[in-house]
Amino acid sequence: MSSIKAGNIRKGMYLLFKNQPHIVTKTDFMSPGKGSAFMRVRLKNVVTGNTQEFTYKSNESVEELEINTKQMQYSYADGAELVFMEPETYEQVSIDRSLIEDKIGLLVPDLIVYVMMYEDKPLGVSFPPKVKLTVTQADEAVAGNTVGKAMKEIEVETGMKLLAPLFVKVGDLISVDTETNQYVSRVNE
Amino acid sequence: MKSTKNWDQLHSEKNLLHNLRVREAVIDAIRAHFKSQGFLEVDTPLLVASPGTEVYLEVFETQLCLSNHKPLRGFLTTSPELNMKKLLSGGSGSIFQLCKSFRNGEGLGERHNPEFMILEWYRVNADYTDVMRDCEQMLHAIFAHLSEKKLLSRGSAIDSTGAPLLSFHGKQYDLSMPWERLSIAEAFQKFADISTDDMLNEERIVAIAEKKGYAVSEQTTWEEAFNQILLNEVEPNLGLDRPTILYDYPVSQAALSKRKASDPRFAERFEFYLAGLELGNAFSELTDGIEQEQRMHRDLAERKRLGKVEYALDTDFIDALKKGMPETGGIAVGVDRLVMLFADAPSVHDTLGFPVEDVFAEALSTAADR
Repeated sequence: MSSIKAGNIRKGMYLLFKNQPHIVTKTDFMSPGKGSAFMRVRLKNVVTGNTQEFTYKSNESVEELEINTKQMQYSYADGAELVFMEPETYEQVSIDRSLIEDKIGLLVPDLIVYVMMYEDKPLGVSFPPKVKLTVTQADEAVAGNTVGKAMKEIEVETGMKLLAPLFVKVGDLISVDTETNQYVSRVNE
Repeated sequence: MKSTKNWDQLHSEKNLLHNLRVREAVIDAIRAHFKSQGFLEVDTPLLVASPGTEVYLEVFETQLCLSNHKPLRGFLTTSPELNMKKLLSGGSGSIFQLCKSFRNGEGLGERHNPEFMILEWYRVNADYTDVMRDCEQMLHAIFAHLSEKKLLSRGSAIDSTGAPLLSFHGKQYDLSMPWERLSIAEAFQKFADISTDDMLNEERIVAIAEKKGYAVSEQTTWEEAFNQILLNEVEPNLGLDRPTILYDYPVSQAALSKRKASDPRFAERFEFYLAGLELGNAFSELTDGIEQEQRMHRDLAERKRLGKVEYALDTDFIDALKKGMPETGGIAVGVDRLVMLFADAPSVHDTLGFPVEDVFAEALSTAADR
């Protein structure tokens, strides 16, 4: 564990808050009425999944957790648990679905990710910047309301829905930005 | 790091073009509203020799280079307040201004951009209660204009009783007048269970903060304890269903405002909140040049102690007040936050064609990860 100033907290860091590990999901700088600087942070408890906000003085010390990352391969979903495997040792790790939330639609079998561990407990998953997904549903393009770049809703193999340009069709492999869950491009393989 | 810049996402899923249209309409509505009330729109400099003295705001410093002259230090204004007050002292009557302001050294967040659009207005022969009504009416004017332009966010509507309901982040807010009004003393009692005497006493409020579990050290000041409790326990309760006006701040928290005649421990200042957003900061403006000069010298000394950029007092401003500024109620409003609210955008950065992280994207990515 190492101490940092609250003013340096960034999204994605793991902090000890009320003796529990939390991930920072949002930060907001504040200076109330031109007063001194504060950092409002949204914290998600990685054990219970509960979220809360706290506002630190920006010069206050906060404990940042040292997180180990392990490269692992996604295997399968088992109810509320997602199972990952280390390809060489076959060691398996289960992660609660709630810790991945809106990124579940990016998990295709065999995808290589980084699993973040704290004291041998998995806390979450770090995705590569882009993942490739196969389109399973896409309506024929409808001409008409086409101001600017026309988009349509498609579905990919994981069941995730997103917007893509009209030319995208079933069977296409597309690249998706894992930060925003948005369509990036079509991939030729 | 973001993969796509805002200018390239106007037609994407995020539909930033819509937000730019809302921005235009909000600004049009503000202009039309104040002009219809007889305010003069003014345009004061952004590049000045002596910016405001607010202790905790950091300035952008630059140089003015003139031929045949050694370079002069220049600063971008953190707000147009000082020069607008000179105009008031010169006899302008009620005025308003929409312009950029610049604040350095702040973190990146959903509610801040270092370069931002500010709206300030000053109503002469008026005090902060008149400005409260101005705020209510301005938000109604913006709502009506967006309604007419069919730019209201999904879920926003005028209900059967005529109440304007604004939808933001999945919740409806009733903008009907009058808004909720709550004094700081009432709010601390109600939400933090702290009496006015305890709130105003440095030793006691720091002790209370420690008991509540906040990190406290020997250096913890009254201002830090007060604001940390305000931010953690009071602010999250404000503007939950309709706008809240939080008024009468401890006098130390109101450098440019008048003291309350009925209770000089407090100053005639208010802020208004909606949906957890602090939208504006208003004063019954201090018109006493001598007191203003003393407060600004104190601020400059405190800036020096804190290691902030140092500069000279704007003596022109003090002279203007000494010459005579009319009784005035004034306010600064963050326009980008208003746009975020009316566009139902996730962040102020989604209301800007060029948020700072796009402008500095390349430099930021090479400096990333500490």
